Amino acid sequence: MAPAFICVGLSHKQAPISVREQLAVPADALPERLRVLASVSGVREVFLVSTCNRFELFALVEQLEAGADLLQALGAAAAPHALVRHGDEALRHLFRVAASLDSMVLGEAQILGQLKEAWSAAHALKLSGAHLERAMSRALSAAKRVRTETAIARGALSISSVAVELAGKALGELRGSTALLLGAGEMAQLAARELQSAGAKELLVVNRSPARAEELAREVNGIPASLAELPALLERADVCICSASVQTPLITRAQMAKVIKARRYRPLFLVDLALPRNIESSVNTLENVYVYDLDDLEAIAAQNRESRAGEVEQAEKIVEEELQNLLRDRRERSAAPVVARLRAQAQAIAEAELEKTLGQLQGLNEKQEKSVRAMAQAIVNKLLHAPTQQLRAEVAVDKSELARAAAALFELPEEP
Amino acid sequence: MAAALVHISLLAYSAAAACYLIWLLKLAPKLVTAGRALLFVGLLAHVGAFLASPHADAPWRGGQLFSLLAAATVALYLLVDLRARIPVAGAFVAPLTVAAMVPAHLVHAEAQTLAPVLTHSVILPLHVLAATLGTGALLVAFALALLYLGGERQLKRKQGGRLLERLPSLALIDKLGWQLTVWAFVLLSVAIVSGSFVMHAESGNLLHADAKETFALLAWALLAALVQARLVAGWRGRRAAILVVVGFLLLACSYGGLLARAPLGVSGERALAAPAAGSGQAEP
Repeated sequence: MAPAFICVGLSHKQAPISVREQLAVPADALPERLRVLASVSGVREVFLVSTCNRFELFALVEQLEAGADLLQALGAAAAPHALVRHGDEALRHLFRVAASLDSMVLGEAQILGQLKEAWSAAHALKLSGAHLERAMSRALSAAKRVRTETAIARGALSISSVAVELAGKALGELRGSTALLLGAGEMAQLAARELQSAGAKELLVVNRSPARAEELAREVNGIPASLAELPALLERADVCICSASVQTPLITRAQMAKVIKARRYRPLFLVDLALPRNIESSVNTLENVYVYDLDDLEAIAAQNRESRAGEVEQAEKIVEEELQNLLRDRRERSAAPVVARLRAQAQAIAEAELEKTLGQLQGLNEKQEKSVRAMAQAIVNKLLHAPTQQLRAEVAVDKSELARAAAALFELPEEP
Repeated sequence: MAAALVHISLLAYSAAAACYLIWLLKLAPKLVTAGRALLFVGLLAHVGAFLASPHADAPWRGGQLFSLLAAATVALYLLVDLRARIPVAGAFVAPLTVAAMVPAHLVHAEAQTLAPVLTHSVILPLHVLAATLGTGALLVAFALALLYLGGERQLKRKQGGRLLERLPSLALIDKLGWQLTVWAFVLLSVAIVSGSFVMHAESGNLLHADAKETFALLAWALLAALVQARLVAGWRGRRAAILVVVGFLLLACSYGGLLARAPLGVSGERALAAPAAGSGQAEP
């Protein structure tokens, strides 16, 4: 029987976190774990994906029975929850995992990196070979297509990432920008950290209590400033995140109109995460000033979630297309031995007849002998051109009986 | 040969416009790559048409100006796209380019005798080149201004949407639009000064107060005001975009004036790509 592709394991869909946390394999223990899995009888190639949401191995096995042994090798905690997928179903699962269609957060990007790392770890130990490499390569290109041809990975899903994404849409590159943190709300700190990881160079921290401002500045690696300096700070900042507990707005339209003129209309992005709000809603009507409050951000996050869900159908189509491409390639490769045997046999016959004929033809010069050899080769090539094409094409659409017929018709020797 | 090349370029521009417009509806990067490649192929064919013209050393006239404007616009857009990958602007520029090629097909201008002083002067080619490149730059800036206004509206209204999703940042659009506006202003300044020399050589007057010149001067004055306001007071964003849109529409009226002066007729190789037959002749 030809080797088969198999997937054994579980994800957040089959097992609760209490099970998954028992199974997670730390990076330093992975090589040993892989060697154990590879030593299971009938396993030719294997790699293991161990993340917080997934514990799955993908393997090429001699016989499908190896699935039960692999399941046992995963451990007692996994067995009651784990699924065993075979053949095309296992490949389809690999493609869906890579395309983030099986992730807890649809369209998230981390899984692709985790999958690559898992495969590289096995490859470095020489436990993963050409078969899994071809499958991985196709799975990665399917994932790439899904990410570029659909909106499944577009739009942030958390309030803080939505705020940072929108700031980028208004202001462009956030690297080197200045952020102003007004108040000490937890969500505002989260947004400030996202801005820092997006490249914000300077984080100005303002609080009604100077002591709290200093403390917070230390926590977020920012610069403390006084509330009295607010207009000057607003002139300097590119993004302002507000979360102060105050009853009346700290930023008014009249004040901001002066600020924006002093900024020479340089755009300013304001995020108001406070309740009651810190910014008068009419500030948003000023030119080059953008104000988003909690409701606005939550509405966009919800819209993004919905929009990602709407892309699933298209993403599944791409996955299926790429999977069929892989399966067709495999079938074409399986035709190769018949074609090779056919050509080798024809070549051998031609060579034997050539030697016989050249032995009978005396007095040929080098050029004439070359011409005779070329003629023999041309006859072989022309005669075999159509059968070769037919074999490759027919086998690609899964008509392997043609390969058997060719072997019988031409009395091809058995494959070694 | 020149006519065939022009038709190839028009076909390529139209196909590019279709690719970009479909991309607005369906996110497929291949459509952008195809649109970009088609614009490039169209531009090569267009330049080839100019070079293959049997009268390449003769002056330009109405229909050919529109053809040259289309080529200049595509070249400028491709340069902007090379720098800042902004395919959504292609969805505006490519159809506008096709639109510019329509009058190039229709205008059949009777050639006029040039004033002897202009026959071997660089003033007329300089005027034509500066006017078309300046208009091309303003046309691309106009497309960017429309995108800015659309994107800003969506961002202010707190609505996501197809356009916003496909747009780069508003700051980048504003920056590119500003750079193109400055180029347009400088080139149109050269066009107006050289144009008044041409006018003076032909009629003894520096100005004809006709629709073409009046609108061109109004557009130039508006651009001058915009450049000054940006440099002095920092005007940018929506108000700058609105002024660019108005400036371009005024300039379009100037080209409308050019069309109004030129009788429409059957187009051919010369009307699209080649200068007027015989040197010593210019557009009316």
